[in-house]
Amino acid sequence: MIIVSLLLVLLALLGAPLFAIIAASAMWGFANTDVDLSVMGIEIFGLAEVPILLAIPLFTFAGYLISESGAPRRLVRISNALLGWLPGGLAMISLAACALFTAFTGASGVTIIALGALLYPALKEAGYKESFNLGLVTSAGSLGLLFAPSLPLILYGVVAEVSIDSLFLGGILPGTLMVVMLAAYSFWVNRHNRAEPGKFSWKEVRDSLWEAKWEVPLPIVVLGGIYGGVFAVSEAAAVTALYVLIIDVLIMREVSLKQLPRIMQESMVLVGGILIILGVSMASMDS
Amino acid sequence: MVEQQAGIIARLDRLGRLVENSMLVVLLTSMILLASSQIILRNFFDSGFVWADELLRILLLWTAMFGAVAASRENRQIAIDVLSRFLPGRWKNLAMTLVQFFTAAVSGLIAWHSYRFVNDSRMFEDLLMGDWPAWVFQSVIPLGFAMIAYRYLVFGLASAWKVIRGKGVAA
Repeated sequence: MIIVSLLLVLLALLGAPLFAIIAASAMWGFANTDVDLSVMGIEIFGLAEVPILLAIPLFTFAGYLISESGAPRRLVRISNALLGWLPGGLAMISLAACALFTAFTGASGVTIIALGALLYPALKEAGYKESFNLGLVTSAGSLGLLFAPSLPLILYGVVAEVSIDSLFLGGILPGTLMVVMLAAYSFWVNRHNRAEPGKFSWKEVRDSLWEAKWEVPLPIVVLGGIYGGVFAVSEAAAVTALYVLIIDVLIMREVSLKQLPRIMQESMVLVGGILIILGVSMASMDS
Repeated sequence: MVEQQAGIIARLDRLGRLVENSMLVVLLTSMILLASSQIILRNFFDSGFVWADELLRILLLWTAMFGAVAASRENRQIAIDVLSRFLPGRWKNLAMTLVQFFTAAVSGLIAWHSYRFVNDSRMFEDLLMGDWPAWVFQSVIPLGFAMIAYRYLVFGLASAWKVIRGKGVAA
Protein backbone atom coordinates (compact mmCIF):
# COMPACT_ATOMS: atom_id res chain seq x y z
CA MET A 1 0.00 0.00 0.00
CA ILE A 2 2.73 2.43 1.01
CA ILE A 3 4.77 1.44 -2.01
CA VAL A 4 1.83 2.17 -4.32
CA SER A 5 1.28 5.58 -2.70
CA LEU A 6 4.96 6.46 -3.02
CA LEU A 7 4.96 5.34 -6.62
CA LEU A 8 1.94 7.56 -7.35
CA VAL A 9 3.61 10.54 -5.67
CA LEU A 10 6.71 9.96 -7.77
CA LEU A 11 4.62 9.76 -10.95
CA ALA A 12 2.84 12.99 -9.97
CA LEU A 13 6.16 14.76 -9.43
CA LEU A 14 7.37 13.48 -12.79
CA GLY A 15 4.42 15.29 -14.38
CA ALA A 16 1.60 12.75 -14.62
CA PRO A 17 -1.79 14.49 -14.93
CA LEU A 18 -3.44 14.80 -11.52
CA PHE A 19 -6.66 13.15 -12.65
CA ALA A 20 -4.72 9.99 -13.56
CA ILE A 21 -2.95 9.92 -10.18
CA ILE A 22 -6.17 10.39 -8.21
CA ALA A 23 -8.09 7.93 -10.39
CA ALA A 24 -5.35 5.32 -9.99
CA SER A 25 -5.41 5.66 -6.22
CA ALA A 26 -9.22 5.48 -6.19
CA MET A 27 -9.25 2.33 -8.31
CA TRP A 28 -6.49 0.80 -6.19
CA GLY A 29 -8.61 1.49 -3.10
CA PHE A 30 -11.75 -0.01 -4.65
CA ALA A 31 -9.87 -3.08 -5.89
CA ASN A 32 -8.45 -3.71 -2.41
CA THR A 33 -11.89 -3.67 -0.82
CA ASP A 34 -13.38 -5.87 -3.57
CA VAL A 35 -15.66 -3.15 -4.90
CA ASP A 36 -16.53 -3.64 -8.57
CA LEU A 37 -14.59 -1.03 -10.53
CA SER A 38 -17.63 -0.11 -12.61
CA VAL A 39 -18.29 2.16 -9.63
CA MET A 40 -15.85 4.58 -11.35
CA GLY A 41 -18.54 5.25 -13.95
CA ILE A 42 -21.13 5.91 -11.24
CA GLU A 43 -18.81 8.26 -9.39
CA ILE A 44 -17.86 10.27 -12.48
CA PHE A 45 -21.52 10.44 -13.50
CA GLY A 46 -21.90 12.08 -10.07
CA LEU A 47 -20.65 15.27 -11.78
CA ALA A 48 -24.17 15.48 -13.21
CA GLU A 49 -25.73 15.31 -9.74
CA VAL A 50 -24.24 18.46 -8.15
CA PRO A 51 -26.24 21.49 -9.35
CA ILE A 52 -23.74 24.09 -8.10
CA LEU A 53 -21.03 22.80 -10.49
CA LEU A 54 -22.85 24.61 -13.29
CA ALA A 55 -21.29 27.77 -11.84
CA ILE A 56 -17.82 26.62 -12.87
CA PRO A 57 -18.07 26.74 -16.68
CA LEU A 58 -20.26 29.86 -16.55
CA PHE A 59 -17.96 31.92 -14.32
CA THR A 60 -14.84 30.68 -16.06
CA PHE A 61 -16.22 31.70 -19.43
CA ALA A 62 -17.33 35.09 -18.10
CA GLY A 63 -13.85 35.62 -16.68
CA TYR A 64 -12.09 34.71 -19.94
CA LEU A 65 -14.45 36.95 -21.90
CA ILE A 66 -14.05 39.92 -19.56
CA SER A 67 -10.28 39.63 -19.65
CA GLU A 68 -10.36 39.93 -23.46
CA SER A 69 -12.36 43.16 -23.29
CA GLY A 70 -11.27 46.62 -22.16
CA ALA A 71 -12.57 45.93 -18.63
CA PRO A 72 -9.14 45.28 -17.02
CA ARG A 73 -7.90 48.68 -18.26
CA ARG A 74 -11.03 50.46 -17.02
CA LEU A 75 -10.73 48.75 -13.65
CA VAL A 76 -7.13 49.94 -13.30
CA ARG A 77 -8.27 53.46 -14.19
CA ILE A 78 -10.91 53.45 -11.45
CA SER A 79 -8.43 52.14 -8.88
CA ASN A 80 -5.98 54.78 -10.01
CA ALA A 81 -8.55 57.54 -9.55
CA LEU A 82 -9.39 56.31 -6.07
CA LEU A 83 -5.94 55.30 -4.75
CA GLY A 84 -3.38 56.88 -7.06
CA TRP A 85 -2.68 59.80 -4.68
CA LEU A 86 -1.28 57.54 -1.92
CA PRO A 87 2.46 56.91 -1.53
CA GLY A 88 3.05 53.47 -3.00
CA GLY A 89 -0.24 54.20 -4.73
CA LEU A 90 0.43 52.09 -7.77
CA ALA A 91 0.99 49.05 -5.58
CA MET A 92 -2.34 49.73 -3.86
CA ILE A 93 -3.99 50.10 -7.26
CA SER A 94 -2.65 46.73 -8.27
CA LEU A 95 -3.92 45.12 -5.09
CA ALA A 96 -7.38 46.62 -5.30
CA ALA A 97 -7.80 45.90 -9.01
CA CYS A 98 -6.54 42.33 -8.66
CA ALA A 99 -8.71 41.51 -5.64
CA LEU A 100 -11.85 42.83 -7.35
CA PHE A 101 -11.12 41.26 -10.70
CA THR A 102 -10.28 37.90 -9.15
CA ALA A 103 -13.46 37.94 -7.10
CA PHE A 104 -15.87 38.60 -9.88
CA THR A 105 -14.22 36.31 -12.39
CA GLY A 106 -14.50 33.46 -9.89
CA ALA A 107 -10.75 33.17 -9.20
CA SER A 108 -10.24 30.99 -12.24
CA GLY A 109 -6.70 32.24 -12.73
CA VAL A 110 -7.27 34.79 -15.49
CA THR A 111 -6.33 37.74 -13.27
CA ILE A 112 -2.59 37.43 -13.77
CA ILE A 113 -3.02 37.26 -17.53
CA ALA A 114 -5.57 40.06 -17.74
CA LEU A 115 -4.14 42.51 -15.21
CA GLY A 116 -0.51 41.42 -14.93
CA ALA A 117 0.20 42.55 -18.47
CA LEU A 118 -1.22 46.01 -17.64
CA LEU A 119 0.18 46.48 -14.15
CA TYR A 120 3.64 44.97 -14.48
CA PRO A 121 4.98 47.46 -17.03
CA ALA A 122 3.32 50.34 -15.17
CA LEU A 123 4.93 49.31 -11.88
CA LYS A 124 8.31 48.96 -13.59
CA GLU A 125 8.05 52.42 -15.12
CA ALA A 126 7.10 53.94 -11.77
CA GLY A 127 10.43 52.70 -10.40
CA TYR A 128 9.36 49.75 -8.27
CA LYS A 129 11.89 46.95 -7.89
CA GLU A 130 11.62 44.04 -10.33
CA SER A 131 11.38 41.40 -7.60
CA PHE A 132 8.70 43.44 -5.81
CA ASN A 133 6.67 43.82 -9.02
CA LEU A 134 6.72 40.14 -9.85
CA GLY A 135 5.84 39.17 -6.29
CA LEU A 136 3.06 41.73 -6.11
CA VAL A 137 1.40 40.81 -9.40
CA THR A 138 1.53 37.05 -8.76
CA SER A 139 0.38 37.20 -5.14
CA ALA A 140 -2.30 39.80 -5.85
CA GLY A 141 -3.60 37.51 -8.58
CA SER A 142 -4.85 35.11 -5.91
CA LEU A 143 -6.18 37.76 -3.51
CA GLY A 144 -9.82 37.33 -4.42
CA LEU A 145 -9.58 33.60 -3.82
CA LEU A 146 -11.48 33.72 -0.55
CA PHE A 147 -14.36 35.90 -1.75
CA ALA A 148 -17.55 34.75 -3.48
CA PRO A 149 -17.91 33.42 -6.13
CA SER A 150 -14.49 31.82 -5.95
CA LEU A 151 -14.41 28.53 -7.85
CA PRO A 152 -11.73 26.96 -5.65
CA LEU A 153 -14.05 27.47 -2.66
CA ILE A 154 -16.94 25.86 -4.56
CA LEU A 155 -14.74 22.88 -5.46
CA TYR A 156 -13.58 22.56 -1.88
CA GLY A 157 -17.16 22.71 -0.62
CA VAL A 158 -18.29 19.98 -3.04
CA VAL A 159 -15.46 17.58 -2.19
CA ALA A 160 -15.43 18.23 1.57
CA GLU A 161 -19.24 18.41 1.72
CA VAL A 162 -19.20 21.77 3.50
CA SER A 163 -21.90 24.39 2.94
CA ILE A 164 -20.65 26.71 0.21
CA ASP A 165 -22.60 29.68 1.54
CA SER A 166 -20.79 29.30 4.87
CA LEU A 167 -17.47 29.09 3.05
CA PHE A 168 -18.20 32.36 1.28
CA LEU A 169 -19.15 34.05 4.54
CA GLY A 170 -16.15 32.58 6.31
CA GLY A 171 -13.83 33.85 3.57
CA ILE A 172 -14.63 37.53 4.06
CA LEU A 173 -12.49 38.14 7.13
CA PRO A 174 -9.33 36.22 6.20
CA GLY A 175 -9.64 37.52 2.62
CA THR A 176 -9.81 41.11 3.83
CA LEU A 177 -6.91 40.45 6.19
CA MET A 178 -4.79 39.25 3.25
CA VAL A 179 -5.58 42.40 1.26
CA VAL A 180 -4.83 44.67 4.23
CA MET A 181 -1.56 42.93 5.06
CA LEU A 182 -0.31 43.03 1.48
CA ALA A 183 -1.31 46.70 1.26
CA ALA A 184 0.52 47.51 4.51
CA TYR A 185 3.60 45.67 3.30
CA SER A 186 3.60 47.47 -0.05
CA PHE A 187 3.18 50.77 1.75
CA TRP A 188 6.12 49.99 4.06
CA VAL A 189 8.48 48.74 1.36
CA ASN A 190 7.76 51.77 -0.82
CA ARG A 191 7.67 54.40 1.91
CA HIS A 192 10.59 56.24 0.27
CA ASN A 193 9.27 55.84 -3.22
CA ARG A 194 7.11 58.93 -3.45
CA ALA A 195 7.56 59.51 -7.14
CA GLU A 196 4.96 62.20 -7.88
CA PRO A 197 1.89 60.97 -6.07
CA GLY A 198 -0.91 62.04 -8.37
CA LYS A 199 -3.52 64.46 -7.14
CA PHE A 200 -6.93 63.21 -6.16
CA SER A 201 -9.67 64.43 -8.44
CA TRP A 202 -13.37 63.87 -8.12
CA LYS A 203 -13.71 64.50 -11.82
CA GLU A 204 -11.37 61.61 -12.67
CA VAL A 205 -13.26 59.35 -10.25
CA ARG A 206 -16.53 60.25 -11.94
CA ASP A 207 -15.12 59.89 -15.46
CA SER A 208 -13.50 56.55 -14.76
CA LEU A 209 -16.67 55.20 -13.18
CA TRP A 210 -18.71 56.46 -16.11
CA GLU A 211 -16.36 54.81 -18.60
CA ALA A 212 -16.92 51.51 -16.79
CA LYS A 213 -20.66 52.04 -16.33
CA TRP A 214 -21.48 48.63 -17.82
CA GLU A 215 -19.10 46.72 -15.59
CA VAL A 216 -19.59 48.56 -12.29
CA PRO A 217 -23.01 46.99 -11.58
CA LEU A 218 -21.63 43.49 -12.11
CA PRO A 219 -19.75 42.89 -8.85
CA ILE A 220 -22.57 44.59 -6.95
CA VAL A 221 -25.17 42.29 -8.51
CA VAL A 222 -23.01 39.16 -8.18
CA LEU A 223 -21.58 39.72 -4.71
CA GLY A 224 -24.72 41.37 -3.34
CA GLY A 225 -26.88 38.68 -4.89
CA ILE A 226 -24.85 35.82 -3.43
CA TYR A 227 -24.14 37.27 0.00
CA GLY A 228 -27.65 38.67 0.23
CA GLY A 229 -29.16 35.31 -0.63
CA VAL A 230 -31.02 36.59 -3.71
CA PHE A 231 -29.29 34.24 -6.18
CA ALA A 232 -28.02 30.73 -5.87
CA VAL A 233 -24.35 30.67 -6.92
CA SER A 234 -25.08 28.89 -10.21
CA GLU A 235 -27.83 31.41 -11.00
CA ALA A 236 -25.42 34.27 -10.36
CA ALA A 237 -23.02 32.53 -12.75
CA ALA A 238 -25.65 32.28 -15.46
CA VAL A 239 -26.60 35.95 -15.05
CA THR A 240 -22.94 36.97 -15.15
CA ALA A 241 -22.15 34.92 -18.26
CA LEU A 242 -25.16 36.24 -20.17
CA TYR A 243 -24.60 39.83 -19.02
CA VAL A 244 -20.90 39.84 -19.92
CA LEU A 245 -21.69 38.24 -23.27
CA ILE A 246 -24.25 40.96 -24.05
CA ILE A 247 -22.15 43.96 -22.98
CA ASP A 248 -18.83 42.81 -24.48
CA VAL A 249 -20.14 41.46 -27.76
CA LEU A 250 -23.30 43.47 -28.45
CA ILE A 251 -23.05 46.78 -26.56
CA MET A 252 -19.37 47.67 -26.17
CA ARG A 253 -18.33 45.46 -29.10
CA GLU A 254 -14.84 44.97 -27.73
CA VAL A 255 -14.96 41.26 -28.48
CA SER A 256 -16.12 40.26 -31.95
CA LEU A 257 -18.38 37.33 -32.69
CA LYS A 258 -15.45 35.75 -34.53
CA GLN A 259 -13.32 35.63 -31.39
CA LEU A 260 -16.10 34.05 -29.36
CA PRO A 261 -15.63 30.37 -30.33
CA ARG A 262 -11.91 30.53 -29.44
CA ILE A 263 -12.63 32.11 -26.04
CA MET A 264 -15.32 29.52 -25.38
CA GLN A 265 -13.00 26.63 -26.28
CA GLU A 266 -10.07 27.91 -24.25
CA SER A 267 -12.17 28.45 -21.15
CA MET A 268 -13.88 25.06 -21.50
CA VAL A 269 -10.54 23.26 -21.85
CA LEU A 270 -9.62 24.65 -18.44
CA VAL A 271 -13.04 23.66 -17.07
CA GLY A 272 -12.66 20.12 -18.44
CA GLY A 273 -9.24 19.84 -16.81
CA ILE A 274 -10.69 20.91 -13.46
CA LEU A 275 -13.91 18.89 -13.57
CA ILE A 276 -12.23 15.63 -14.57
CA ILE A 277 -10.07 15.96 -11.44
CA LEU A 278 -13.19 16.66 -9.40
CA GLY A 279 -14.95 13.61 -10.90
CA VAL A 280 -12.18 11.18 -9.98
CA SER A 281 -11.75 12.91 -6.60
CA MET A 282 -15.36 12.11 -5.76
CA ALA A 283 -14.49 8.49 -6.51
CA SER A 284 -11.38 8.58 -4.36
CA MET A 285 -13.39 10.05 -1.46
CA ASP A 286 -15.50 6.90 -1.45
CA SER A 287 -12.78 4.35 -2.10
CA MET B 1 0.69 2.97 -48.39
CA VAL B 2 2.21 4.11 -45.10
CA GLU B 3 1.98 7.73 -46.21
CA GLN B 4 -1.61 7.23 -47.20
CA GLN B 5 -2.37 5.84 -43.73
CA ALA B 6 -0.56 8.73 -42.07
CA GLY B 7 -2.68 11.07 -44.18
CA ILE B 8 -5.87 9.41 -43.00
CA ILE B 9 -4.78 9.58 -39.35
CA ALA B 10 -3.92 13.27 -39.71
CA ARG B 11 -7.30 13.92 -41.29
CA LEU B 12 -9.12 11.99 -38.57
CA ASP B 13 -7.14 13.97 -36.01
CA ARG B 14 -8.25 17.27 -37.55
CA LEU B 15 -11.83 16.03 -37.69
CA GLY B 16 -11.64 15.04 -34.01
CA ARG B 17 -10.43 18.51 -33.05
CA LEU B 18 -13.19 20.15 -35.07
CA VAL B 19 -15.84 17.97 -33.43
CA GLU B 20 -14.47 18.65 -29.93
CA ASN B 21 -14.20 22.40 -30.49
CA SER B 22 -17.67 22.73 -31.97
CA MET B 23 -19.20 20.59 -29.23
CA LEU B 24 -17.63 22.81 -26.54
CA VAL B 25 -19.10 25.92 -28.18
CA VAL B 26 -22.55 24.34 -28.60
CA LEU B 27 -22.61 22.93 -25.05
CA LEU B 28 -21.54 26.18 -23.40
CA THR B 29 -23.95 28.27 -25.46
CA SER B 30 -26.83 25.94 -24.56
CA MET B 31 -25.92 26.09 -20.88
CA ILE B 32 -25.86 29.90 -20.85
CA LEU B 33 -29.16 30.22 -22.72
CA LEU B 34 -30.99 27.47 -20.86
CA ALA B 35 -29.79 28.56 -17.40
CA SER B 36 -30.69 32.22 -18.01
CA SER B 37 -34.10 31.43 -19.47
CA GLN B 38 -34.84 29.26 -16.43
CA ILE B 39 -34.09 32.24 -14.17
CA ILE B 40 -36.25 34.57 -16.23
CA LEU B 41 -39.13 32.08 -16.37
CA ARG B 42 -38.94 31.35 -12.67
CA ASN B 43 -38.76 34.94 -11.47
CA PHE B 44 -41.03 36.75 -13.89
CA PHE B 45 -43.49 34.11 -15.06
CA ASP B 46 -43.42 31.81 -12.09
CA SER B 47 -42.83 28.81 -14.35
CA GLY B 48 -39.96 26.91 -15.94
CA PHE B 49 -39.15 23.63 -17.63
CA VAL B 50 -39.25 20.64 -15.32
CA TRP B 51 -36.53 18.88 -17.30
CA ALA B 52 -34.27 21.93 -17.59
CA ASP B 53 -32.31 21.51 -14.35
CA GLU B 54 -31.57 17.89 -15.12
CA LEU B 55 -30.61 18.69 -18.70
CA LEU B 56 -28.29 21.47 -17.46
CA ARG B 57 -26.46 19.00 -15.25
CA ILE B 58 -26.08 16.57 -18.15
CA LEU B 59 -24.76 19.40 -20.32
CA LEU B 60 -22.23 20.09 -17.57
CA LEU B 61 -21.07 16.47 -17.57
CA TRP B 62 -20.68 16.56 -21.35
CA THR B 63 -18.79 19.85 -21.16
CA ALA B 64 -16.49 18.33 -18.54
CA MET B 65 -15.76 15.27 -20.69
CA PHE B 66 -15.31 17.12 -23.98
CA GLY B 67 -13.17 19.75 -22.24
CA ALA B 68 -11.04 17.04 -20.65
CA VAL B 69 -10.54 15.31 -23.99
CA ALA B 70 -9.60 18.64 -25.58
CA ALA B 71 -7.20 19.32 -22.70
CA SER B 72 -5.44 16.02 -23.34
CA ARG B 73 -4.73 16.72 -27.00
CA GLU B 74 -2.15 19.40 -26.30
CA ASN B 75 -1.03 17.66 -23.14
CA ARG B 76 -2.75 20.43 -21.19
CA GLN B 77 -4.07 18.33 -18.34
CA ILE B 78 -3.37 19.86 -14.97
CA ALA B 79 -0.15 18.41 -13.55
CA ILE B 80 2.47 19.34 -10.98
CA ASP B 81 5.60 18.55 -12.95
CA VAL B 82 8.34 19.74 -10.56
CA LEU B 83 10.80 16.88 -10.78
CA SER B 84 10.98 16.35 -14.52
CA ARG B 85 12.28 19.84 -15.24
CA PHE B 86 15.47 19.02 -13.37
CA LEU B 87 16.10 15.86 -15.36
CA PRO B 88 18.63 15.90 -18.22
CA GLY B 89 17.21 15.50 -21.75
CA ARG B 90 17.22 11.76 -22.23
CA TRP B 91 15.99 10.99 -18.72
CA LYS B 92 13.27 13.54 -19.22
CA ASN B 93 12.07 11.66 -22.29
CA LEU B 94 12.13 8.43 -20.35
CA ALA B 95 10.08 10.00 -17.55
CA MET B 96 7.60 11.37 -20.08
CA THR B 97 7.25 7.97 -21.71
CA LEU B 98 6.53 6.40 -18.35
CA VAL B 99 4.04 9.09 -17.31
CA GLN B 100 2.21 9.04 -20.64
CA PHE B 101 1.86 5.25 -20.76
CA PHE B 102 0.67 5.34 -17.14
CA THR B 103 -1.98 7.96 -17.99
CA ALA B 104 -3.07 5.97 -21.04
CA ALA B 105 -3.42 2.81 -18.92
CA VAL B 106 -5.41 4.54 -16.16
CA SER B 107 -7.71 6.24 -18.68
CA GLY B 108 -8.15 2.96 -20.54
CA LEU B 109 -9.15 1.22 -17.30
CA ILE B 110 -11.69 3.93 -16.47
CA ALA B 111 -13.04 3.73 -20.03
CA TRP B 112 -13.50 -0.05 -19.77
CA HIS B 113 -15.10 -0.02 -16.31
CA SER B 114 -17.38 2.94 -17.02
CA TYR B 115 -18.39 1.17 -20.22
CA ARG B 116 -19.55 -1.72 -18.01
CA PHE B 117 -21.47 0.77 -15.86
CA VAL B 118 -23.17 2.22 -18.93
CA ASN B 119 -23.96 -1.27 -20.16
CA ASP B 120 -25.61 -2.14 -16.83
CA SER B 121 -27.61 1.06 -16.94
CA ARG B 122 -28.77 0.05 -20.42
CA MET B 123 -29.79 -3.44 -19.27
CA PHE B 124 -31.75 -2.04 -16.35
CA GLU B 125 -33.29 0.57 -18.68
CA ASP B 126 -32.46 3.50 -16.40
CA LEU B 127 -34.22 6.69 -17.40
CA LEU B 128 -33.37 10.40 -17.20
CA MET B 129 -35.56 13.49 -17.62
CA GLY B 130 -38.72 11.42 -17.63
CA ASP B 131 -38.42 8.90 -20.41
CA TRP B 132 -34.96 9.25 -22.01
CA PRO B 133 -32.63 6.25 -21.77
CA ALA B 134 -29.84 7.21 -19.36
CA TRP B 135 -27.10 5.22 -21.12
CA VAL B 136 -27.19 7.58 -24.11
CA PHE B 137 -26.11 10.48 -21.89
CA GLN B 138 -23.76 8.38 -19.77
CA SER B 139 -21.86 6.95 -22.73
CA VAL B 140 -19.87 10.19 -22.96
CA ILE B 141 -17.83 8.93 -19.98
CA PRO B 142 -16.35 5.75 -21.52
CA LEU B 143 -16.01 7.44 -24.92
CA GLY B 144 -14.19 10.42 -23.41
CA PHE B 145 -11.77 8.32 -21.39
CA ALA B 146 -11.13 6.04 -24.37
CA MET B 147 -10.21 9.12 -26.38
CA ILE B 148 -7.90 10.39 -23.64
CA ALA B 149 -6.29 6.94 -23.42
CA TYR B 150 -5.73 6.94 -27.18
CA ARG B 151 -4.14 10.41 -27.11
CA TYR B 152 -1.75 9.51 -24.29
CA LEU B 153 -0.89 6.22 -25.98
CA VAL B 154 0.15 8.17 -29.06
CA PHE B 155 2.15 10.66 -26.92
CA GLY B 156 3.79 7.72 -25.10
CA LEU B 157 4.78 6.02 -28.35
CA ALA B 158 6.26 9.26 -29.68
CA SER B 159 8.26 9.78 -26.45
CA ALA B 160 9.41 6.16 -26.43
CA TRP B 161 10.59 6.58 -30.01
CA LYS B 162 12.64 9.60 -28.93
CA VAL B 163 14.21 7.59 -26.11
CA ILE B 164 15.14 4.80 -28.49
CA ARG B 165 16.51 7.17 -31.11
CA GLY B 166 18.39 9.00 -28.38
CA LYS B 167 17.13 12.42 -29.38
CA GLY B 168 17.20 15.49 -27.16
CA VAL B 169 14.51 17.17 -25.12
CA ALA B 170 10.94 16.54 -26.19
CA ALA B 171 8.62 19.43 -26.86
